[in-house]
Amino acid sequence: MCLGIPMQVVSIDRFNAECEARGITRTISLFMIGENEVEVGDYVMTHVGYALRKMTPEDARLSWELFDEILAAADQ
Amino acid sequence: MKEDFAAAKAWLAHIAELPLTRPVAVMNVCGGHERSLSMLGLRGVLPPLVRLIPGPGCPVCVCPEEDLADAISLAMAGDVTLAAFGDMLRVPINAPKGEVRSLAEARAAGADVRPISSPREVVALARAMPERQVVFFAAGFETTTAPVAAMLAEGVPDNLSLLLSARLTWPAVDMLLREDATSLDALIAPGHVAVVMGAEEWRFIPETYHLPVAVAGFSANSLLAALYSVLRQKLDGKPFLDNCYAELVRPEGNKRAQSLMAEVLEVGDANWRGIGVIRNSGFALRGAWRRYDARARHEFTTLPRRHAGEMPPGCDCATVVLGKKQPDQCRLYGRACTPQSPVGPCMVSDEGACHIWWQAGTRAAA
Repeated sequence: MCLGIPMQVVSIDRFNAECEARGITRTISLFMIGENEVEVGDYVMTHVGYALRKMTPEDARLSWELFDEILAAADQ
Repeated sequence: MKEDFAAAKAWLAHIAELPLTRPVAVMNVCGGHERSLSMLGLRGVLPPLVRLIPGPGCPVCVCPEEDLADAISLAMAGDVTLAAFGDMLRVPINAPKGEVRSLAEARAAGADVRPISSPREVVALARAMPERQVVFFAAGFETTTAPVAAMLAEGVPDNLSLLLSARLTWPAVDMLLREDATSLDALIAPGHVAVVMGAEEWRFIPETYHLPVAVAGFSANSLLAALYSVLRQKLDGKPFLDNCYAELVRPEGNKRAQSLMAEVLEVGDANWRGIGVIRNSGFALRGAWRRYDARARHEFTTLPRRHAGEMPPGCDCATVVLGKKQPDQCRLYGRACTPQSPVGPCMVSDEGACHIWWQAGTRAAA
């Protein structure tokens, strides 16, 4: 439950951000990082529907590569 | 994972070159770390003297049995909708055969139990049925508790209340080290807990216990960098607080999230299933926010239970959580207890060491 998932911000409406990762879209709350901290196109580390922190595209990509590797190991 | 793999290989080579002469026990305190270590097979490629121990990193595993029993009895009473993170539904309590033993069984018996994956879903649920009481059974560590605090602070409908079973990670580690600082040589601190609470929260490990600690992320690269750091610190005899997840973890953490938590929650002593009360290790609603406390709002009937408060008979989950036994040293592991028919919470939760080891292919010791 403590593993965050990186997502990219698609649109922002005050504290609610539409975020996307791997074709999946979710509404993510920006309430924990503040509404002026992120812009459309930014990446955020999310957990249970809330953004914990802004992150760089590079860190988001590396996190997703880790998930792919773990999921591949789980499928074996 | 091409780049990360190359970096991870370099860290492995650095670790292999360390002049270790005695076994070194390194504990992680995060189910996510344990998942990465197990699924990426890192134990198999480290020097045999390095022992990686899964510690208290699973909030579902330590959720008090009495809280689970309360949630089940509330759901069975029939006049509320009970929402809980999916992981909680299959965790069994010690009820006699024939009684309802889990939220999943309560649901099968007709109770309105909703598995959710975000506090936002609970708010939407409560808004969609304003005439009905919705109780959010919220178990979790700081990473999950901060969003629950944010949910309350942002505003929730009056028909929503909380059965809170939230815990802090570091006090369990503090208790372990206070009771026995000799069986562990170093710690890897949890990455996403530290994103919220800050790396500084773990400074007590070198300062009070003179042991190495490093905050790690979840990639092989970050975990091996943290492992190299603590092994190096151990060899040098100079323990300090290292941060190997600096891209996301600030020394002070997420101050806004912390102030939201401080606004709605207070810290107090709390019970950990099978372990007992740990000082200042739990969150409770504070002041005016107590109007959202499900315990103040609803009647609870006591379910008939044997071994109340304990892990199920024969289950070593509490010993596994404390790192005193490995999952495959439990008599039930892989025999009476598998992910398909779990006996204890460590085999139920995605963050339970037993579940993770089973998924990674570890079978019962012969």
